[in-house]
Order: sequence, then structure tokens, then C-alpha cells
Amino acid sequence: MIAIEHWASAADRPVLRNARTAHRSKVVQLKPMAQTRSDDLSGEQAALLRAVAAGDREAYAELFAYFAPRIKAMMMRGGLAPTPAEDVAQDAMLLVWRKAHLFDAEMGSPAAWIFTIARNRQIDLSRRARRAPTESQDADFEQVDDEPLPDAKVAAAQVDGKVRAAVLRLSAEQQQVLQLSFFEGQSQSEIAESLGIPLGTVKSRTRLAFQRLRALLGEFK
Amino acid sequence: MSISHHPSEEMLLLLANGRLDLGRCVVVAAHVESCAECARRFRVMEAVGGVMLRDAAPVAMADDALALAMSRLDGVERFEPAVQDLAVSSQAHGEMPYLPEALGGYRMGAWEWIGPGIHRRMVEVPDETGARVFLLKAAPGTRMPDHTHTGTELTLVLSGAFSHAGGHYGPGDLDEADDTVDHQPIVDAGEVCVCLVAMQGSLRLKGMAGRLLQPFVRI
Repeated sequence: MIAIEHWASAADRPVLRNARTAHRSKVVQLKPMAQTRSDDLSGEQAALLRAVAAGDREAYAELFAYFAPRIKAMMMRGGLAPTPAEDVAQDAMLLVWRKAHLFDAEMGSPAAWIFTIARNRQIDLSRRARRAPTESQDADFEQVDDEPLPDAKVAAAQVDGKVRAAVLRLSAEQQQVLQLSFFEGQSQSEIAESLGIPLGTVKSRTRLAFQRLRALLGEFK
Repeated sequence: MSISHHPSEEMLLLLANGRLDLGRCVVVAAHVESCAECARRFRVMEAVGGVMLRDAAPVAMADDALALAMSRLDGVERFEPAVQDLAVSSQAHGEMPYLPEALGGYRMGAWEWIGPGIHRRMVEVPDETGARVFLLKAAPGTRMPDHTHTGTELTLVLSGAFSHAGGHYGPGDLDEADDTVDHQPIVDAGEVCVCLVAMQGSLRLKGMAGRLLQPFVRI
């Protein structure tokens, strides 16, 4: 059962907001990291995914050790309690095992691919929790892949290093908006509220941030 | 196809980080499918999401998490994406220029008459906010009732075109309207217009004729 859902009804909103604002002081900036290490890590993870596709359990354990605690972290920052966050991490990683052969390095980095899997799994679990709270989780899991994922067709991304370097060239304010959007899963009005700035400012910061990113990633597919 | 009306940065971002309700998710994803520019905007957002995930400070999993994960691999099958039989589905849907892949897998009702020159076909999307998703088909030159909304409405043009105070909308264009928008769309002459709509709340007709029609128009 998901404790906090992002499309919570009006009555649920205060819970959601409290959970979010409670840690708003902990917004962190990305720290510069050597580009080479960044690219190496993506390459290594892509190789691990290929091994997983071939059924290599050790490679899977290695990917699990890296990504499961980070998926859990992301889900918790987004407002989930530790137990459901851990469940999302477990389920998303099982899907990584089941879908590894579909990963296409040409289309994006392993991290971006795993990000989309974790996001879709979380959406799916929340939806189920709302629709049929009494169904057992195992029974639910069997149905997961029968549901269409509206964005499956366009789920792709490029090499992390390049993207990361581009993000680091944004202003601190722009980075902060991205951080709150992705990491805390806040909507624009929630960001305005937690930063105490006008909604219009949040909207223009977001728009400028992505305009700049697209310009910096010009050759991006 | 030349697309001039796109989802806002906010809408696309909500889709990228999984915060969009399913009804709007389906409509925005259908737009992204057919719009190269938004597909690229969307990929940039997902790439940023990937970097955020990769750089996240980890939170320790339970002690037995890895053992549990490994035990779950036993007997689990590899995922094979369903291959849609496009020939069959386009026939089955009849009169449709094309159906976005984002709609694949959702059951649809029959076309129903809802007003002069206007038909609707419900798409069974289990939206958690109660938003309704449907296809709307309007005859050439149809003047839709002057209306406003109690919630947000997303309209994606699949074929044909319409105009209202906000501009001209052709195939691939996405119209975002909310309760601050008050408009009367008019379908272009010469071609039937088919749209995919996600509607939260309900539609309020205006004027005397609208008030008379309201009980009959079940949008």
C-alpha cells in the first residue's frame, strides 16, 4: 500500500505537502564530478546490463547494489515511506532483469533507462493502491506488464556525462528547480510554495533551464 | 505534420517524472509520439532524471534485500513487448486516421451521438482523478457550444482542424484549457475533425441555448 500518492485527493494534499516541506532545507546542489569518471560509470553500467541480458546474476547483483538504494532514496525524497520506497526499488530492479535485453545503449544511458522503469513502476503501484487496495501485491505484479506505458516509445536519453555537464552549467536557481522537480517530485506550485517565490518565477526558471539544456545538448538525438 | 501548439514545459515535466494523472498522461504521450520536437524535449528531461538518479545519495536497503532480489529471479520470464497488430486495430476502430500508441490496450466504447454533428467514443482509461478520456468527432463546420470548464481539458487533434480564440489547431496540436478559458471552437470546413480529449471536471455551456442544451449534452 502506498502511503502517499502524488495525485492524492484534495483531502490528502496537506500530508503530501508536509512530507515535502519537512526536508526542504536539504536541497542539495549537484557537485562537479570529473567528466571521465561519469562516462566510465555509464559505460560500465551498460556493460553490466548487457551481461544481465545474457543471464549473468553477478552483474545483476552489482547493478542492484548501485541502483536499488538510489531508487529507494529518490522515492523517499518524492514522499514515499521507507517500506513502499524499498518495494518500488525491488520491483523496478526485477523489471530491469526482465527487460535488460531491451536496453539500447544507442538510445540512452543505463541510469536514464532505469529512471524511467522506476518511475513507471511507482506510477503503477500507486494506481493499483488507489484502485484495489485489497489485492495482494504478488497478484498485482503479475499484471504489471500488461498495462500500456504511455511513454514507452519515447523513453530514451543520452550519455549521462554530457547531460550532467550541461546541468552543471545552469544557474544555481535553475538547478534547484530541476532538483525539486525530479528529486522531490514537486509540482510547479509546490516548488513556488516551498521556495516562497511566485509561481510565474518557477515557470520561467523551468522554461529557461530546459531551453538552456536543449541548446547545450544541441547534438542530442 | 506541422505542429504549432505544444504542451507546456510544466506538463511535459510532470509526464517525465511520473506526476501526471493517467488521463492527461495518455493525451500528452500521444502528442509526444507524433511531435519530434517534444520527443526531444522529453528525452532531455528523462536524461536529467537519469543523472539525478545516478547521483542520488543512496539510502540503505533492508539487510536481506539482495537475497530477496536474487530469489525473485528464479523462474521469472523475460519481458516481451506486445506487438500490436496495426492492420487489425485500424480496421476495428474504423474512420480513424490513426490511433496513437499511447491508446494501445485501452478498451473503447462505441461512437455515441451527443449533439448535432458531434459524436463521442469513451476510452476506458482508469484515471485516478476521475478525468474522462474520449475521442470526439465533429462534422465539418460544426460550431461547438460556447462553453467553459470546471477543470482542465486537454485536446489533441488527430485529424481535421478547429479554431477558437486561442488559435488554429490542426493534426498533432495540443490545446490546454482550464476554468479561466472561455471558448467556442469551430471545426474547419471540408474535413471531419477527430480529437483525443482528457477532461477533468465538467463542461459548462453558456448562453440561453447552452442552458437549454445542457441537460442533453453529456460531455
